[in-house]
Amino acid sequence: MNELAKELAARYGARDWHDRRGDLSSTVVDPIRLHDTLAWLKDSAGYAHLSFATAVDNIERGVFTLTYTVRNHEQGHSLMVHADVDRANPVVDSIHLLWGQGWTYQREMKEWFGIDFPGSPRVDEEFVLEGWEGPPMMRRDFDSLAYSDATYEGRPGRVTHDPATRMQERLYPEAGK
Amino acid sequence: MDIKDFIAPFAVWKRAFEKPFTVKKPIDERPGAPRYRGFHINDADKCVGCGTCEAICMNRAIDLVPVEGRDAKEGDSGLRPRVDYGRCCWCALCVDICPSGSLNMSNEYVWIDSDPDVFRYTPGVEPKPWDGSALGYRRAEGYRLLDGTRVPMPELDHHEAVKSFLELVRGWSREQAEKEADRCVSCGLCIASCPAHMEIPGYIKAVRDGDLETGLRLLYQTNPFPEACGRICTHRCEEACSIGTDGDPVAIRWLKRYIADQVELADYSKALPRKEASSGKRVAIVGAGPGGLSAAYYLALLGHEVTVHEKDEAAGGMLRYGIPEYRLPYPALDKDIGYIESLGVKIERGAPVGEGRSLASLRERFDAVFLSTGLPAAYGLDVPGEKHPRVLDGVAVLAAATRGQVLGLGARVAVVGGGNVAMDAARTALRNGASVDILYRRREEDMPADPDEIREAKAEGARLVEKAIPLEVKDAGGKARFVWNEATMVQKEAGKRPVPEPIPGAIHEEIYDSVISAIGQGPELSYIAEADGVEIRRFKPVVDRDGLATAAGKAPVFAGGDLVNDRKDAISAIADGHRAASAIDRLLSGKGA
Repeated sequence: MNELAKELAARYGARDWHDRRGDLSSTVVDPIRLHDTLAWLKDSAGYAHLSFATAVDNIERGVFTLTYTVRNHEQGHSLMVHADVDRANPVVDSIHLLWGQGWTYQREMKEWFGIDFPGSPRVDEEFVLEGWEGPPMMRRDFDSLAYSDATYEGRPGRVTHDPATRMQERLYPEAGK
Repeated sequence: MDIKDFIAPFAVWKRAFEKPFTVKKPIDERPGAPRYRGFHINDADKCVGCGTCEAICMNRAIDLVPVEGRDAKEGDSGLRPRVDYGRCCWCALCVDICPSGSLNMSNEYVWIDSDPDVFRYTPGVEPKPWDGSALGYRRAEGYRLLDGTRVPMPELDHHEAVKSFLELVRGWSREQAEKEADRCVSCGLCIASCPAHMEIPGYIKAVRDGDLETGLRLLYQTNPFPEACGRICTHRCEEACSIGTDGDPVAIRWLKRYIADQVELADYSKALPRKEASSGKRVAIVGAGPGGLSAAYYLALLGHEVTVHEKDEAAGGMLRYGIPEYRLPYPALDKDIGYIESLGVKIERGAPVGEGRSLASLRERFDAVFLSTGLPAAYGLDVPGEKHPRVLDGVAVLAAATRGQVLGLGARVAVVGGGNVAMDAARTALRNGASVDILYRRREEDMPADPDEIREAKAEGARLVEKAIPLEVKDAGGKARFVWNEATMVQKEAGKRPVPEPIPGAIHEEIYDSVISAIGQGPELSYIAEADGVEIRRFKPVVDRDGLATAAGKAPVFAGGDLVNDRKDAISAIADGHRAASAIDRLLSGKGA
C-alpha cells in the first residue's frame, strides 16, 4: 500500500498514513482536497465502494473530523480518509455525485453535527429526529440535561437522596452537621 | 354485468389453504443483540449505594432511593439507584462508571404498558423478567472510567529503613497527590466510618483543585491533628471507600498528610478560623494526648481559657511516646501541637494530676474538667517468671526510645503480642540491631495490628511465631528462657473467632536477651478519688453520649479517648475530645444540652 500512500501524498498532500489492520489503512487530507481525493480513489485506484461516512466532534481542537471509508473489493482493502473541518464554519463539498448514497450520510451529518454539504439533495430535511428544534445533538457541547429540562416536564414524585446525608441520618444522627 | 364479476369473489378461495404471505401476530421474538443496551439490572448485594451512576447520568434519569430491608451501614448507604426510563437515553455511562460493577444492562428492550408511571423502577430490588440476564451490556474487559490503582507511595527500602529511625513513608508530590485525588468520586460513604466524621470528599476536592488552605480548614473542622492522622490513622474510611469495592481504595490518609505537609505552620492562621472572644470560663484538661489536645483546641477556639496538665515532659501522649518516629516524626507532631498552643492553650508539662494536684482541686479552680489519660499501664505476661529483669514492657520500651535512652535490648529479642505496640516494639528492636521473634497466641490473620504494620515488620526481618501461648519465663544466666506452648485453633462457638487451645506436649523454648511484653494496656485511675463522684465500671469512667462523667458537686467532669472508648485509636480520641468540647461549651455558655 505504500505506493498508494506516496501517490496520494504527491497528488493531494495526504499524510499520516497508518496501517490499522492488514485490510484497513487510514490517511489524512485537507478538507479542500477531500472531494478530489475520493474521486481519484474511486475512478483510478479501484476504491469504488463507499462503505461508510461519519464525523467525530473533536471539540478540544475546534474541528469536526470527517471520516470516509472506501473499499477496493479487488484487493480486499479498505481506506479511511480523514479530514478536519473548522468547527466554527463546517462546510464540506458534497460527494453525492460520486456515490449515490452519499447524500444520506450527509443528511445525517447535517442533522447530528450541523455540518453543511451545499448542493446535497434533501440535506436540510429531518433525518431521524422528527420535530427536533434543539442544537445538533451529537455536538459535544450539547447539554442533554439542560435540553431535557427545558423540553420535557419532570415526572412528578421523583425524589433522590444524598448517600452521605442518608448515612448521617441513619448512623450518627447526633452529629448535627 | 360481466360473468367475471360473479366469479371473482369465489376465485380467491383457491388460495385459502396455501401458506399466507402475511406475518402472524404476535410477531416472532426479536431478541436484542448480545451486548444490546436494554433495561438495567443491578446486583443489589454488591451495590453500595454510592450514587456515582446518578452523578454521571447526563439526563438525571437516576434517583437514589431507600430500599425496604436495607439500612445504611459502614461502606453502604443502603440506597439503591432507581431509573426513570422517561429520561434514560441508554448511553450506559452509569454501567461504565459503576465502582463496584454491580450495575449492568440486560438486552431486553420490549416492555409495554399503558401506565406511563410504571417505567421507573429500582433494578435488583423490584423483580423484573430480565433480572439475572446473562446477555446485555457489560463494561468491556479492561475498560474503566475510574482508576482502580492507587498512586504508589514512595517508601524507604526495607533494608535501608531498618538501619535508622528515618521516616519510612516519604509523602507525595503535588502531581502524585492530585492524581490520587482524581480517583475519588466524592460519594461520601467514607464519612460515616470516620470516628470524627471528617469532611473527606471536601478536602480531597481541595487537593484536586490545588486549594490547600480550604483543605486545611476542612481538616481542622473536625481534627486538629492532621499531620499525625495523615500518617498513623487507622483509616477506617478507606475500608468504606466505594472505589475499594473493585480496586484500591483512595489513599485518604496520605491525602490528608499531603495537605498538612504542604501548608507551613506560619500560614495556618490565614486558613483557619480565629478564636472567639474570651468567655471568661476556664477548663482543665488532664492528659495532653490527641483526645485532650483536641478538646483543648475546640474549647480555645470557642473562647475558653484552657490549661492542659501533662505528666510527661512533652505533649502528645501515645502519639509521641507510643509511636516510633519512623512512623510519626516528632517535627510533624510538634507542628500539630504548636498550632494548638498558638491559640493560647497552656500545656503544663511534667505536671501529673494526683497527689498535690488532685482532681478535686481542679474542680475547685476550673469551670469544667476533661479527663483523657489514656491507657498508660502495660499488662503483665501473667505467667510465672514475669518479673524477670529481662521481661520489659512494650510501652516503656517505646517511650525510652522516644526519650533517646539507650535501650540495651541485646542481640535476641522476643516480642509477645499481636497489636500495633508489639509491631512497633519489634521494629524498634530491629532498628537497634536485634534479631526479633514476634510470638502471638493466635494466627497472623487474627492480629489486631494494622496489616501494613505486620507486613512491614516481617519485611524488615522480624520472624513471626504464631499460635504461641506463653507458659513461663525462666532465668538462663541473666538472660530469659521463654517457654511457650504451641496451640491449635478451635472453633468453640459458631460465629465467634476461634480460640487457641494448647497442644499437649508441644512445648518450645528459646533463650532471649530481652522479652518485650506487649499484650495490651490498662488505665491509670488512681488520681480519681471516690469522693469525686466519677463512676468507674470495668476500669473505665462511665460517661454519657457527650462524655459527661459527673455534673454533681463542683465543676463537671468529662472523659474521653482510650480511657473511655473501645476503639482505642487516635482518631476516636480526637472525636471524643471534640464532642466533649462542644458539650462543655454548651454547659458553660448556658446554651443547654
